[in-house]
Amino acid sequence: MRNIFFGIFIVFLVAAPCLADGPVSKSYSGIFDPGELTPIDSELKVAVGEAAPDFTLEAISGKTVRLSSFKGKSNVVLSFIPAAWTPVCSGQWPGYNIAKDEFTENNAVLLGISVDNVATLFAWTLEMGGLWFEVLSDFWPHGAVAETYGLLRSDGTAERALVFIDKEGIISAIHVEDINVRPPLEFVLSELKKLPR
Amino acid sequence: MKTKSLPALFALLIFCLLWHGKSTAFAANETMPDVSLQIPENEEYRKYLGINGAPGDEFRLADIDTDILLIELFSMYCPYCQAEAPLINEFYELATAREQEDGTRIKVIGLGASNTKFEVEFFKDKYEVRFPMFPDEDLSLYKTFKGEGTPGFIGVLYKDSGNPLIILRQSGGFEGAEEFLALLLQRAGYQ
Repeated sequence: MRNIFFGIFIVFLVAAPCLADGPVSKSYSGIFDPGELTPIDSELKVAVGEAAPDFTLEAISGKTVRLSSFKGKSNVVLSFIPAAWTPVCSGQWPGYNIAKDEFTENNAVLLGISVDNVATLFAWTLEMGGLWFEVLSDFWPHGAVAETYGLLRSDGTAERALVFIDKEGIISAIHVEDINVRPPLEFVLSELKKLPR
Repeated sequence: MKTKSLPALFALLIFCLLWHGKSTAFAANETMPDVSLQIPENEEYRKYLGINGAPGDEFRLADIDTDILLIELFSMYCPYCQAEAPLINEFYELATAREQEDGTRIKVIGLGASNTKFEVEFFKDKYEVRFPMFPDEDLSLYKTFKGEGTPGFIGVLYKDSGNPLIILRQSGGFEGAEEFLALLLQRAGYQ
């Protein structure tokens, strides 16, 4: 009897986070709160004016995305976020969902990057209601792209950072935000406007 | 853990799942906190709220000229708030029409939790929101109103005696504008 109840308890313990803020709920709370974190915990390895290090990552769409494939065609904005299912991250990319026109007008492709695996990112972005931009998994080798850019934190998560890259593949702006804070939309749109069309 | 405590824990888990998975509306009867906001630059908004004074100065929420006030706690970044925006707009239209029908004045304002002024304006423009929205960048208003996620709603009844009363708290969105308006009116004692 004890084992049966223990088994039921474990099943519900596992199921609770999945169901608690599922599609039925229309309130965006119930996200894991890691508390106040060290604002920035890495040192940049790239700088404005340098060529953006190339990378190839798997997207949750099933595509494989290579940064250099946009060279000569589009500006690119890399949005690194620390981790899926955490408070600020869960409320950052959905905001970019309604700024699609602004990215398009400035001939910019937005690429979201997280160190989580594809399955986790798929479930997380689905819970947000979907995103219009590609979300890339920098899971394995763990955080390799974040590390190349100097954005991998000591705990294996990434910084909350934005890297603006022009059509020639040159970094035009880098913004590493306090991990506890969301970069204001006005900053994103202001940097977008500086990129060549 | 003792075996006999497990059924209670099991029941609690089921309760939490069932409770948390739905939008929740609570009847409340408490005095609205004494909150002040900046007087909007937009003249139409000042007229809508019945507020006199210079833009940029502060006005008390209690001084809004209305019978009922619906406060939406939202965030530009919240996908549920984005999805809810057309419904709130519909609610605003219905609420505005109500005054023409029987004179009941129902006003709506939005408070952008953790949003800058720019982000609030961006949201308003994207969803063509016609009622006034105010930034709550440091979440102080959200905390004062005991917000529990976004979107959230606070219904307030303005009485002749002053001291507006909170008559409804809802965490989560609503399914239909007409039904939600009926609920608000019922809580306010108008139906």
